[in-house]
Amino acid sequence: MSPSTPSGRDVLRESVRGQRRDVALGSLLGSGHQLGEALVPVLIGVVIDRAVTKSDTGALVLWLGVLAVVYVGLALSWRFGAWSGDRSAARAEHTLRIALVRRVLHPGGGAEEGRLPGALANIATEDAKRVGAVNMAVMYGISALVGILTTAVVLLRTSVTLGLVVLLGTPVLLWLGHLLSKPLETRSATEQERAAHASAVAADLVAGLRILKGIGGESTAIARYRTTSRDSLQATLKAARAQAFQSGMVLTLTGCLIAVVALVGGRLAAQGTISLGQLVSAVGLALFLLGPLQVLAWVNAGLAQGRASATRIAEVLATPHTVTAGDRILAQPVRGAVRLTGVSHGGLREVDLDIASGELLGVVATDPAHATDLLRCLARRADPDSGTVELDGVALRDLDPAELRTAMLVAEHDADLFEGTVRDNVTAGAPDSADPEPAMTAAGVAQVAETLPGGEDTAVGERGRSLSGGQRQRVALARALAADRPVLVVHDPTTAVDAVTEAGIASGIREIRKGRTTVLVTTSPALLSVTDRVVLLDDGRVTDTAPHADLIARHETYRTAVLA
Amino acid sequence: MSDSPDTPATGPTGAAPDDGSALDFGSEPAGRELLPTATPARTRAAVRELVRPRRGLAVAGFAAMIVATGVGLLVQPLLGRIVDIVADHRPPGDITLPVVLLVLVALAQGATTALGLSLVSRLGETVLARLRERFVEKALRLPLEQVEKAGAGDLTARVTRDVSVVGEAVRDALPELARSLLAIALTLAAMAALDWRFFLAALIAVPVQASTARWYVRNAVPLYGRQRIATGSQQQQLLDTVAGAGTVRAFRLEEEHTERVTRRSSAAVELTLRGVRLVLDFYNRLHIAEYAGLAAVLVTGFLLVRGGSVSIGTATAAALYFHSLFTPVNAALVLLDDAQSATAALARLVGVADQPSPEPEKPEAGKSEAEKRAHAPRPRTAAEAEAKAGGTVTVTGIHHAYEPGRPVLHDVDLTLRAGERVALVGPSGAGKTTLAKLIAGVHRPTAGSVRVTTNGAGESRDGVPVALVTQETHVFAGPLADDLRLARAGATDAELRTALTAVSALDWVVALPEGLDTVVGEGGHRLTSAQVQQLALARLVLADPPVAVLDEATAEAGSTGARLLEQAADRAVDGRTALVVAHRLTQAATADRIVVMDGGRIVESGTHDELCAAAGVYASLWEAWSGTRATADQTPTHHRPDTTTLKDH
Repeated sequence: MSPSTPSGRDVLRESVRGQRRDVALGSLLGSGHQLGEALVPVLIGVVIDRAVTKSDTGALVLWLGVLAVVYVGLALSWRFGAWSGDRSAARAEHTLRIALVRRVLHPGGGAEEGRLPGALANIATEDAKRVGAVNMAVMYGISALVGILTTAVVLLRTSVTLGLVVLLGTPVLLWLGHLLSKPLETRSATEQERAAHASAVAADLVAGLRILKGIGGESTAIARYRTTSRDSLQATLKAARAQAFQSGMVLTLTGCLIAVVALVGGRLAAQGTISLGQLVSAVGLALFLLGPLQVLAWVNAGLAQGRASATRIAEVLATPHTVTAGDRILAQPVRGAVRLTGVSHGGLREVDLDIASGELLGVVATDPAHATDLLRCLARRADPDSGTVELDGVALRDLDPAELRTAMLVAEHDADLFEGTVRDNVTAGAPDSADPEPAMTAAGVAQVAETLPGGEDTAVGERGRSLSGGQRQRVALARALAADRPVLVVHDPTTAVDAVTEAGIASGIREIRKGRTTVLVTTSPALLSVTDRVVLLDDGRVTDTAPHADLIARHETYRTAVLA
Repeated sequence: MSDSPDTPATGPTGAAPDDGSALDFGSEPAGRELLPTATPARTRAAVRELVRPRRGLAVAGFAAMIVATGVGLLVQPLLGRIVDIVADHRPPGDITLPVVLLVLVALAQGATTALGLSLVSRLGETVLARLRERFVEKALRLPLEQVEKAGAGDLTARVTRDVSVVGEAVRDALPELARSLLAIALTLAAMAALDWRFFLAALIAVPVQASTARWYVRNAVPLYGRQRIATGSQQQQLLDTVAGAGTVRAFRLEEEHTERVTRRSSAAVELTLRGVRLVLDFYNRLHIAEYAGLAAVLVTGFLLVRGGSVSIGTATAAALYFHSLFTPVNAALVLLDDAQSATAALARLVGVADQPSPEPEKPEAGKSEAEKRAHAPRPRTAAEAEAKAGGTVTVTGIHHAYEPGRPVLHDVDLTLRAGERVALVGPSGAGKTTLAKLIAGVHRPTAGSVRVTTNGAGESRDGVPVALVTQETHVFAGPLADDLRLARAGATDAELRTALTAVSALDWVVALPEGLDTVVGEGGHRLTSAQVQQLALARLVLADPPVAVLDEATAEAGSTGARLLEQAADRAVDGRTALVVAHRLTQAATADRIVVMDGGRIVESGTHDELCAAAGVYASLWEAWSGTRATADQTPTHHRPDTTTLKDH
């Protein structure tokens, strides 16, 4: 996308411009196809006129030959024109999808805030598809216009009166149809929404099947679903009736148009103004004209949808970054000294904290929300409202967030695993040459691998779902350790891990991170006991700092937070 | 072949490097026992059964459609008649009559079409609604064991994709197909009525169309299958990447993930275009058929007019008839594909809907049935009311293996006395979850028995004797009160509040935008994982079972949150017989009894003090834990009152 904060219009324009060659070729060939389709009824008329009426075998052969040529032409231009159109749509969709993913993953962040993952994924699929389809709509729109133009020329050349009847009659007919169906459409849209509700409820119940069975709620759920299904049925039936009425109406209107064309054309033919064949062509063309006119209506709807989707896409692309890149760089090698000065953010109030290079620090927050706020500042998912966070004396807000993350890793409690094997996940953030084994041993992944059918080569499924909560946690921790960053901040890495394993992990972390700055944000005594010292964050402030055992001995709040 | 989500870690695992086929519900992972699919004969019979009570509707609907199509076929002869009037040089006024007839035909055709379509869709929609109700009813009653064996994806796919495929077919394809087929049949008949030789000429197109249709279906079905897989895996990757954006950034995996999405998206685009090419080739072949038929009809008309056996008007009508066949023929052929996938989807729905209805209560508790029933409700003594405790669980000689040759439990004996709270402790893989599931009746043990004896207190409600709460987090979409009432249908708002208070959730619930009526779950107000677990515990309180099994119900909340949840869990199981799979030893230490498992066996059992004194596995576990808390002299107190709520963070 060229502009930095694109509008919906920009997105749409870029999308078509990127595929202009295909769109142009498609429009050209599509027009050829429309021309051919318009000629078929004309040629039927000509055959009746020249061959059937006059019993002329030569003319029959000649005009059937012409019809064959027209067929070959329209078939081939359809084949290649539609291909260009579809290809441009698919490619434009793909390009948009990738642009969206790049924006979401941008180190500055921001795009996913306030949007559910499902909604974002939907924008990257459905909305991208609709914007891509605009390419096709443009192509079909141009072709339909050419088809209409051809029909107009043929009809007007035959007879101005008849031509005008058809050319004015068909749009009026479509407009009437549209007018009649408009209230039905809006009504049926809401009804269809209610109808779709039934399947959503069913899917939801099945998704919670285990929970339902756990509490014996099946009968209630079944009774409730039946009510929903009946409600849905009533709504669907209303919508279906409306739709049936609309179909009938369109048929009647079309039939009336044909009657009018037949009346006018028939009288003209009876007066000898036009030939029999021209009458037949006119009727055929009137029917044909409905096609391109309907295409135009479809194109219009497609463009409207495309515009709405383009706006949604543009909103995501134009979301401001939560943090911006500064222009200072870290001195290499990174020592890993972290200092917080007067940091206020969320629930944190003027937190001062000095983490020495190579220290293993524990942080206990009495309110989990404060722990999250601290992690946000350290990970630079947000900049503090006031105060500064520094790494090796450089304020984080003066750094490129991407570079910061190469030096300091904040491993969140709810970190996601990705599809791939256990080993793939562990090595995801590790330097290429690094051996992941020590990290796997330290995080207790070795034991996890033993129980898996394929060991460390077992696939973990999407988002690691084929692993249990505790297994996932250990793999995520191993990944954080294997990434081998100068500074590592870990949040609650062992909540789903049993006590024995947890103790092993605690000493494993201490061992593998020896000499490098590590912060454990947790209330687990097993982890805290291996730290050099612990900082207690109470009510958003640092209220005490000392080794774990000392705090246990002297601080009541700490005891409650850690041992309750 | 590859894995769906939720494969148990011990299950078979696909080795395909680029599977990502979490949405690939169509493929059958090796070793899976998919839910049953009905045979074609059974599917037809099931549809007949559903249609039978609505026979009148079906007959009326199709009659109306036939009339509509038949009336519509009068258009061409009327046009032909006008041609004849002109050809015979009759006065222009003669044209008025056929034109008026054309208008009448249009009105009649419109009215009957509207009627027919609305009757046919009423039939289709009603049958569909009954089918999906029956499906959901049977699906929710399926034994969990069977669902798990099939993989959770199987049932989900049926209830989402298959229901919607059948629904779309009923809504769009069925009326359209009926109309098209009727139009084709009646148009051909009309051509035959004009002159049988026109009919023969029209048939020239049929072999080409038939072979094209066969060719198309043969190629399209597998291609669309692959397309669905590719689109599904693209969607999955997008969700993976977008939902994990924070992790992706933290580990500097931006490029790799963009690459992953690009790969999946390109694959999907490639298959989409292959599908497009197939459709285009399909139409190309149909163009050939169109031309051949049209030329044949025109030549026939030419010859018959020359021979004097038909008028020019009739020849015109025949040509117009054939020209008007293009649309319904193309429509019908395209719909073949939809019809095929709808039939397959229908077979999967009928397969489940046909399942014999198990007893509404858990049949898995099998051997305990007799005993559960034997105890008729009797007046509760004061002591019982005090204890409220209703269930004794006796586990005798259980062995269990999910797969033959991979035993998970060996010879486990365990008794949970009425009202007793037992903590289950042990390293990962010790078999805790399996034992919990066996007691909750999710699985049937390979050998041995589980008996649940209730003393009547729990039978006043038609709930389950043993309730199970796991770390699985699902909130049912809709008002929060409705979610809770799944556990007790008739619960009053006051009862809901009491239950929420018991699990310390009332404060945040009343703080929600619309309190108990706030819409939660998919598309509604988002709850934190700790809040979701509190709701699960509140449901437990409402279901009020004599026996409760809690498996890692507090694991996902972070350590501080876990502690609050533990307290909520304590209150939720208060007065019940409870088995709690505990990760944090503090939770275990407050239990009435601790059972330690290792390697699929029970290795220790006793109170905290007994086990600490015994210097066995538990003692060393406690050592690992309490080594850090040497100064903490007191053992944790039981049932600590606590009003702290979990903050929404």
